[in-house]
Amino acid sequence: MPGRNNRLAVLVISLILMFVATQCGGGGSSTAQAPSQAPASGSQASATQAPSGGQAASQASSGAPVELRLTWWGSQDRHDRTIKAIQLFQQKHPNIHITYEFSSFNDYLTKLSTQAAGGALPDVMQMDYAWIAEWSQRGLLVPLDDYTKNGTINVSDVDPSNLNGGVVDGKLVAINLGSNSQNWVLDADAFKKAGVDLPKDDWTWDDFEKISTALHGKLGNWAHGMAIADNQLWKSLYLSQGAWAFAKDGTQLGYTDDKPLVDWLNMILRLQKAGAVMPHQEELASYANASPEQSPTVTSKADMEYFWSNQITSFWKAAGDNRNFVEMPLPRPTGGKSANYIKPGQFFSISSQSKHPQEAAMFIDFFTNDVEANQILGAERGVPISNKVRDAIKPQMGKSQQAMFDYVARVSKDAQPVPPADPPGATDVINNVYKPLIDQVLFEQLPPDQAAKQLRDQANAILAKNKK
Amino acid sequence: MATSGQTISDEARGVGRISTRPVSRRRRRNLNNLAGYLFISPWLIGFFLFTFLPMLASLYFAFTDYSILSPPRWVGLANFEQMFFHDPRYWKSVQATFYYVFAAVPLRLAFALVVAMLLNNYRPGVGIYRAAYYAPSVIGGSVAVAVMWRQIFGTQGVVNALTGFLGIPPVTWLGDPKTAIWTLIILAVWQFGSPMLIFLAGLKQIPKELYEAASMDGAHGWSQFLHITIPMLTPVILFNLVMQMISGFMVFTQAFIVTGGAPLDTTLFYALYLYQRAFVNFQMGYASAMAWVLLIVVALFTALVFRSSSAWVHYETEGD
Repeated sequence: MPGRNNRLAVLVISLILMFVATQCGGGGSSTAQAPSQAPASGSQASATQAPSGGQAASQASSGAPVELRLTWWGSQDRHDRTIKAIQLFQQKHPNIHITYEFSSFNDYLTKLSTQAAGGALPDVMQMDYAWIAEWSQRGLLVPLDDYTKNGTINVSDVDPSNLNGGVVDGKLVAINLGSNSQNWVLDADAFKKAGVDLPKDDWTWDDFEKISTALHGKLGNWAHGMAIADNQLWKSLYLSQGAWAFAKDGTQLGYTDDKPLVDWLNMILRLQKAGAVMPHQEELASYANASPEQSPTVTSKADMEYFWSNQITSFWKAAGDNRNFVEMPLPRPTGGKSANYIKPGQFFSISSQSKHPQEAAMFIDFFTNDVEANQILGAERGVPISNKVRDAIKPQMGKSQQAMFDYVARVSKDAQPVPPADPPGATDVINNVYKPLIDQVLFEQLPPDQAAKQLRDQANAILAKNKK
Repeated sequence: MATSGQTISDEARGVGRISTRPVSRRRRRNLNNLAGYLFISPWLIGFFLFTFLPMLASLYFAFTDYSILSPPRWVGLANFEQMFFHDPRYWKSVQATFYYVFAAVPLRLAFALVVAMLLNNYRPGVGIYRAAYYAPSVIGGSVAVAVMWRQIFGTQGVVNALTGFLGIPPVTWLGDPKTAIWTLIILAVWQFGSPMLIFLAGLKQIPKELYEAASMDGAHGWSQFLHITIPMLTPVILFNLVMQMISGFMVFTQAFIVTGGAPLDTTLFYALYLYQRAFVNFQMGYASAMAWVLLIVVALFTALVFRSSSAWVHYETEGD
C-alpha cells in the first residue's frame, strides 16, 4: 500500500511540474507574442482611423485646447534641446499642449511599430529615411502637400533638393530636419602632435592606412576608434564607383565586383593586426552600443572616428571645447569618386492616426522656420533646411556647429545623389548576414574573399524574395 | 486511488441524501461551481487574455510572414524550413543555449547544494547568511545587475584589476569568444538562492538517525554525503533540475544587456535571437515559429528528465 501511495505522489508531483513547465514555456513564447498580438485589432484600428484623421485636417486650429504627442530618438543633448524648443512652442501657442516621448535609436523603431499596430501613434514622429517609403505605402503618414501649399508649413526658404528626400510616390510625407553626410572626424591636435599632415578631401583608403600607421607609430594609441567596418561604410564603398550595396529594384546586391570590399577588409585586418586601430574584441568588450559621446577619441584613446556629420556637436561637447577636430569626407577606393551623399538626417512626419494634423503641421513649421527655436536646437539634427534660418543662426553657433555647416557645404559640391531607401529585407541582410560575417572576418576566422562571397550568396537569397 | 475515489463518492451520496429534490441538488452544485469559478476568475481572465490567446495567435503567426505593419501572410512551413536549413545563426543560437544550459544548470545546482549544506548547521546569525545568500536570486535577473556585470568584466573592470595584481595581463572577457559566455554562466551560478532554499528544506527532512547509524557503521564525511545525503535529496534535485533547466532554456536579460549576443554569436541565446528576429528585424512569424520550437524542446527535455528519474530518484518510503 505505501508503495502505491508513493507512486500516486510521484504522479501528482510530475503533473504539477509538467504544468509549471508548460506554463513557463508558454511564457517564453508569449514574450514574443504579447506585443505581436496587438496588430490583429490594431491594423483595423489604423485603417478606420485614417480617414477621420483626414477630416480633422480640414478643421482649422482654433483656441480650443489641443493635446499633441511628439516622439523622437537621439542623444541626451538632443533631448534637452528639443524639450526647450517644445516649451518655446507652447509659450507661443498656449492652447497647444505637447506631451513627448524620447528614446535611443535602438529602441525607437520597436516602440513606434508596436504603437502603429495598436493604433496609438503619436501625432508628430521623428522618422528615418530608411522607413518613410514603407510607412507611407502602409498609409501611416499624412501627405503634407496641402499644408505646404496653404502655408501652414512654410517652405519658401527651402531649396527643393532639401525636401525631395521626403517625397514618396510623388507625395511629400516627411519634412527634413537637417542635412547630414557621413564623415571622418580627425583629432587635429593629435595629428599635430604626431607631425602627420591632415589629408585632403579626396583621400583614399590607402592614405587612411598610411596615416593610421603613422599616427599609431608616433602616438602609440589607436589611430581609429569605433565601427571601422560599419555596414554604412560597406554601402558607401560602392557609391564612389557609381553603384550601391543594393540593386535599384532591391532584388539583389547592387555590385558585381567583390574586390573593393575584399581590399577594404584586408586593409582593416592589417591595421588591426598592427594594433593601429581598436581591435574588434576590445570594441565588443568595452564599446558595445557606445554613443559618439562615449567614443575612445573623446578620451584621446584614439585619434579618428567615423560618424554622421550632425553627431559632431554632441561628440565635441563631450570631448571639450578646447579640443580641435576636423571633419573629413569618407576615404574612397583608389580612383573612385566621392563616397559621400547628403542625407536628410531625420524627418518629422504626421501620423495618419493623428486627430490634430493641423496643429501637428504648425509644430513642424515652427521647428523648420522659427529662428529662436533653431538657436535652441543648435543644428544638432543637422544643417537646417531653411536658408533663412541657416544664415540667421550660423554666426552664433559654436565651433562644432560651424565646422558641421562648413563640412556639409564642402561635401555637397561633389556629393553623390541620395541612394534609394533600403529595400525590404535590408535589415535582415545587415543584421543576419553582414554583421555575423564581418565579425568572423575581424576575429580572423574567415578570410575576406570568402566572406565577400558568402555575403553575396546569402544576401541575394534574402533579397530575391522582393522579386514580383 | 480506488479507496480515495470511494470516499468522495460516499460523501457525494451523503449530500444527495440530505437534499430533498434532484433539481435543487443540481442548482446547489452549479452555485458551488460558480462561486469557485468566480474566486479563480482573476487568474482565469489573466490566463486566457495574456497567455492562452496570445499562444494561439503565435501558433497561427508561426505559419505566416508577418512584419507588424502589414497583415500576416500564410507561408505554410517556410519559417521552419528557413530556420532548420537556411539560417546558420539559428544553429549558433541553439548551440549557445545548450552550452549555457549544460554548464550553468549543473554548476548552479552544485553551488546551491554546497551553500545549503554549509547553512544547514545551526550557527549564530545563520538566518542573516541565508537571507544574504538569497539576495542575488532576487536581484540577479535585473537589468541593474547585468549592467554592473558589464562593468565588472569590462576591460577596465574589477576582474582585470584583481588579476592585474597577480601580474596577469588584462583579458577582454566580454570580447573573447572563449570567455564571454562564461561571464554569463558565472552570473547564473551567482544566482543560486532559490535552489539553495529548496535544498535547505530538503536537507532538513533527512532523518538524523540515518547519519547516526552510518557513523556507528564507520561511514563519515564524504561517504555519508554520497550514500545518505545525495540519495535522500534526489526528489529535491529532480525538482530543482527541472525548474532550472526550464529557466536556463529561456535565458534572455543577461545576454541582452551584458553581451548582446556577441562575440561571434557565442552568447546569442535562443530567446535573444528570437527577440532580435521579432523586434529588430520585425519578422514576427519567424519569431513565433522559433518560440514554438523552443516550447517543444523544453517539453521534450522535461519529459526526458522525468523518464530518467525512475533510475536515479529515490523516494524514502519506497520498498518499506
